[in-house]
Amino acid sequence: MRRRLLLVAAALALVAGGCSGGRDALTIYSGREESLIAPLLEEFADSTGIDIDVRYADSVDLALLIAEEGSNTPADVFFSQSPGTVGYLDSEGMLADLDAEALDAVDSEFEASDGKWVGVTARQRVLVYNTEMVDAEDLPDSVLDLTDEQYAGEVAVAPTNASFQDFVTAMRQAIGEDAARAWLEGMAANNSPIYADNSSIVAAVGRGEVPMGLVNHYYNYRALDEDPSQPSLNYVFPGNDIGALLIASTVSVIETTDHADEAARFVEFLLSRDAQEYFSEETFEYPLASGVEPAEDLEPLDTVDTPDVDIGALGADLRSTAEMISESGLL
Amino acid sequence: MLVVSALTAALFAGPLIYLLLHSASDIGAFWSTVTSTAALGPLARTLLLAATVAAAAAAVGTAAAWIVVRTDVPLRPAWRVLLPLPLVIPSFIGAFVMLAAFAPGGLVEVALSPLGVERVTSIDGFTGSFVVLTLFTYPYVYLPVSARLRQLPSSFEESARLLGRRPLATFFEVVLPQTRGAVLAGSLLVFLYVVSDFGVVQLMRYDTLTRSIYATRLIDRGTSISLSLLLGLVAIGLVALERVFTRGLQGTDVRRGARPLVIALGRWKSATVGFMGMLVGLALAVPVGVLAWWSTRGLFRGSTTAGDLVADIGDLAGPVANTSLASIAAATAAVTIVVPVVYLTVRYRSRIGGIANGVVVGGFALPGLAIALALVYWTIDAPAYVSAFYQTLPLLLLAYVVHFGAQAMRASQVALASVPRAMEDAARVLGVSRSARFVRVELPLMMPGLLAGGGLVLLSTMKELPATLLLAPIGFQTLAVRIWTATESAFFADASLASLALILLSGFLTWLLVIRRSEALI
Repeated sequence: MRRRLLLVAAALALVAGGCSGGRDALTIYSGREESLIAPLLEEFADSTGIDIDVRYADSVDLALLIAEEGSNTPADVFFSQSPGTVGYLDSEGMLADLDAEALDAVDSEFEASDGKWVGVTARQRVLVYNTEMVDAEDLPDSVLDLTDEQYAGEVAVAPTNASFQDFVTAMRQAIGEDAARAWLEGMAANNSPIYADNSSIVAAVGRGEVPMGLVNHYYNYRALDEDPSQPSLNYVFPGNDIGALLIASTVSVIETTDHADEAARFVEFLLSRDAQEYFSEETFEYPLASGVEPAEDLEPLDTVDTPDVDIGALGADLRSTAEMISESGLL
Repeated sequence: MLVVSALTAALFAGPLIYLLLHSASDIGAFWSTVTSTAALGPLARTLLLAATVAAAAAAVGTAAAWIVVRTDVPLRPAWRVLLPLPLVIPSFIGAFVMLAAFAPGGLVEVALSPLGVERVTSIDGFTGSFVVLTLFTYPYVYLPVSARLRQLPSSFEESARLLGRRPLATFFEVVLPQTRGAVLAGSLLVFLYVVSDFGVVQLMRYDTLTRSIYATRLIDRGTSISLSLLLGLVAIGLVALERVFTRGLQGTDVRRGARPLVIALGRWKSATVGFMGMLVGLALAVPVGVLAWWSTRGLFRGSTTAGDLVADIGDLAGPVANTSLASIAAATAAVTIVVPVVYLTVRYRSRIGGIANGVVVGGFALPGLAIALALVYWTIDAPAYVSAFYQTLPLLLLAYVVHFGAQAMRASQVALASVPRAMEDAARVLGVSRSARFVRVELPLMMPGLLAGGGLVLLSTMKELPATLLLAPIGFQTLAVRIWTATESAFFADASLASLALILLSGFLTWLLVIRRSEALI
């Protein structure tokens, strides 16, 4: 009898504890990982005194969640890993206009043309290669050359990965639909090994399973941090090549927010010198707000010849990109 | 009973109804999506993988159960704790470590290279998925079958032995028919698990239906939803098929206090130990070994990154507590909630029971994301007393129950089917009330089976990811979420430490709540 009472009491405590305390916090849905940005968000909360509640998950799943929640969403801010997901929310009409100061802090090519979101940091597309299997001199000057026969079966890609899809969307803009389709079909015809995501490619290159792969620059830095003896290096395509595309992480404010002021302060914080320096030093990413230098190992942003691509337009075209990828035979 | 079951069925049907409402507006579009070449190929691959893994897991799980329960294999307590554990390894981390170990250039190759071994066979695609999934899902068969075996009266087997039958023949002619219900129940769960798995097939690069669902979930929601619905329909179809095959499959009733028959292995002892060792070695020792290697490497290297487990392992305390709480609560709730449906399907075989049965099982095959979004849909715009539960722990527990309830239900159905009618009738004749009969006669006899089902839900909940990410209260981090977040940002030492904690915790909880209590009831 007593055990039964104990169980009931425990159950009630569970239910009571599970219900939210009703505190009035700024709710952030973050597709950026906790291990990377939690300290930064804590600093924001400490320095401004604003309470924050952060939900960490995959950017795509969070975009789906916000869309499903609709006007009753608890989310105030969406901090995403990629432009594609925030573009989707924009097309659903769920985003609020950002302050002019925020939009001015970043180059116009790294923000939405309708002012609904702004880029915070950028990751660069690179070719990671195994130094024991590949001679740096044999690497091509352009990502488009990878369809050559000499690279048959040697270049790993991750066609379901959001960054690869953003890259292909940018490629369609930069060199035209037909050329982009031809490149995809060429990579498929070249027996490019397919992997699930960037981590898998870097791990495979490090093991020597495959000589090269197209990834974001960040992963090899982490891999070398965990195992300095791993024989893999990043290669950045020179010049204005589309292969050196910068993909921005983005922040946006949800239209139905009750915390417009706090949200605006959060956006301002992310673009501030402190936060941008944090990203540069702790997460090996390119700061996009003007006036901050990236970490030592990275090239300064001004000298990085980035291709002329309107990142702002990346969001809308994701579906046709995915169709193009699957039609090419890569998916 | 009927009303409660109908309500339970409505609860479990939530996700399916959500998918129906959101799918293509007409049957024609749905049909063309699921019969397009883009869908039929993955569907065929899904079914092939599921069928082969189910068969293999059934064989392995049954053999392991028989060896542990019926023979005098050495180190029996160790096997009983270790054998269910591979179920707790999240598939995305399991496949990742298997690849790290066995892929070309992987750790096994590196370790064996001094011995002159050049290249280990690469595992990917179908072979890799088949092997990894079998290793991680055989506990679905092992747990219910060992529960049933432990309770079978040994009189039939003893008679067979006395009549001169060798142990192996006894196994096939006497034991297997008795345990067929448990084997089928477990195999069905394996089949459905493989149908809904994404982590393994994604890393092994085997293109199944779940990959299409994942790839299209944002950019082509209509297709994603139609394909998710297809998964649900496959599950329901399979359950209907299984009902046809198991009609009249009652089997022997169980007895308490019967001393189980123990077969001396004799000269087969070393071979048996070798088999068990290899099974546990591949399914558990290899993943744990790789994780331990990454952890120690990380701990030696040290870390200055704030929040990295390598820097402060005490950070694990919160996730450990949260995971324990959520999984125990979900397991208890799941076993309790499915009881009406179990009764309806086993004792009465009513139509509503059959529908409820199908709907509950359907929930298991659906992607966790679909279940999460369905719960969002049903609660966010509901009246205040319902929407207050949004993103709270009870709602998350409900998501677990809907997703994994099928596991508890199948094990409980097997358990209830083996309660002797004679005892129930005797109790009724003696004037004991319905509820007292349930508590004092049926429940104790069903308990090992119920615990097995609860154990399955426990282990599955501990590693659940998509619904947890979206529905958990803010700040409620589980070990699975911790592992995922570390893996995503490539902090592998961190992920390894959390994974090891998950495996240890699950071993402890399984021993404490399932194995010890089952022992006490024999």
